[in-house]
Amino acid sequence: MPAITLRINGQDKQVDVPEDMPLLWVLRDRLDLTGTKFGCGIGSCGACTVHLDGVAVRSCQTPAVAAAGKAVTTIEGLSSDGSHPVQQAWIEAQVPQCGYCQSGQIMSAAALLVTNPNPSDSDIDTAMSGNLCRCGTYQRIRKAIHRAAESGKTT
Amino acid sequence: MSATLSRRDFLKTGAATGAGLVIAVQLQGCAKPAPPLSTAAFAPNAWVRVQTDGTVLIEVDRSEMGQGVSTALPMLVAEELEADWSAVRYEAAPANPAYINKLTGMQLTGGSTAVPNGWVPLRQAGAQAREMLVAAAAARWGVDRAACRAENSRVLHDASGRAATYGELAADAAKQPVPETVKLKDPKDWKLIGKSVPRLDLPAVVGGEPVFAQDVRVPGMLVAQVERSPVLGGSVRSMDAAEAKAVPGVRAVVQITGGVAVIAEDFWAAKKGREALVIDWDEGPNAALDSDGVRATLQALLAGPEGAVVRQDGDAPGTIASLT
Repeated sequence: MPAITLRINGQDKQVDVPEDMPLLWVLRDRLDLTGTKFGCGIGSCGACTVHLDGVAVRSCQTPAVAAAGKAVTTIEGLSSDGSHPVQQAWIEAQVPQCGYCQSGQIMSAAALLVTNPNPSDSDIDTAMSGNLCRCGTYQRIRKAIHRAAESGKTT
Repeated sequence: MSATLSRRDFLKTGAATGAGLVIAVQLQGCAKPAPPLSTAAFAPNAWVRVQTDGTVLIEVDRSEMGQGVSTALPMLVAEELEADWSAVRYEAAPANPAYINKLTGMQLTGGSTAVPNGWVPLRQAGAQAREMLVAAAAARWGVDRAACRAENSRVLHDASGRAATYGELAADAAKQPVPETVKLKDPKDWKLIGKSVPRLDLPAVVGGEPVFAQDVRVPGMLVAQVERSPVLGGSVRSMDAAEAKAVPGVRAVVQITGGVAVIAEDFWAAKKGREALVIDWDEGPNAALDSDGVRATLQALLAGPEGAVVRQDGDAPGTIASLT
């Protein structure tokens, strides 16, 4: 089992993990960061989305060893107090229903706004198409991303 | 629904109406640990906790599943309590007979019963606390209780202009007798009920904080995954678990009804172990079942004699015939 150092939410964490162990399970089962969810395990639902060097990735499909030396950001580290513009917009638009997929939705939305600070509806639909929500909060997600984009312009 | 509805009737009703029955039971350990009740200066009943800093903590006795109970139920309490909504917090209530759902006979969340069941008791709980806070203020000021009123987490005595916050009154209110009967507000005076209020749980949701079943951690916990028969009703004829047991982190392999459970230290080890099982399945009575077979069975039933009459209202065949 390789011992690796992961930089998670700005802190270095040493873990011994099997080479094929996905980052998701290191986060959830070794580091108790349970805000990142297991949905499908095959990269099809987006519930496990985290940032790897700022890019949204599916942590269930990313071997932990591949994340060594890169910056991993989870929902717990997006902001220390829920003040990230996407989190604020999510509350303002009252996006979540059950909440299970929302960590992944928020991480995908935050990564989108970094590369595209003013996305169109179509940009949003394309970027968010890999994040499923069984409650069907898609309309509010779109609204909240526009709102976060607006608040990003004024700050 | 009558208040004497049995659990069995409740389940039948839910199924018969196709109401999308959702049931959750309170699991000890799912909720964040509640602060000891002693931290609340004033806890007149199972739902209301008023702290000396003015925080109004409301025990939510139903499971939040996205349906909004962690906001709706506190609204019922806060309406009668005349609480400052911005000072209202909630926590998931522990298991307690006080929280039994009268519509189902147990502490259960489901069937859209949370608000109907709490509608009267939760408002009464808020009113009870309000009356005790008002009585405490009246006693402190030596004035007639009827000359005092509650508003926005304060008790006011208009004649003298005196006012005290709920936080300031909490300790005294705890010494007041709990009123057995309370008068509920006239609906025209409602400030919260009927309004659209932002959900209290969303700040936690956007931080990934809520504890879902999958997120529960208890000391010494292991994780199991079950490899099930590929055919419903099948069973294990024989298995070779040697490779599964050799996966680091796998603790045990156990044959259960209809499958094999791999028990491990974490999810990934359980999954790898499950994938390493070699099982010879006896696929059982449905081994040869396929869509064509199901279709043939249904067609044969359609062609057979008429089914039993379960219910007959009016003259449906006659009415249909008269219309065509």
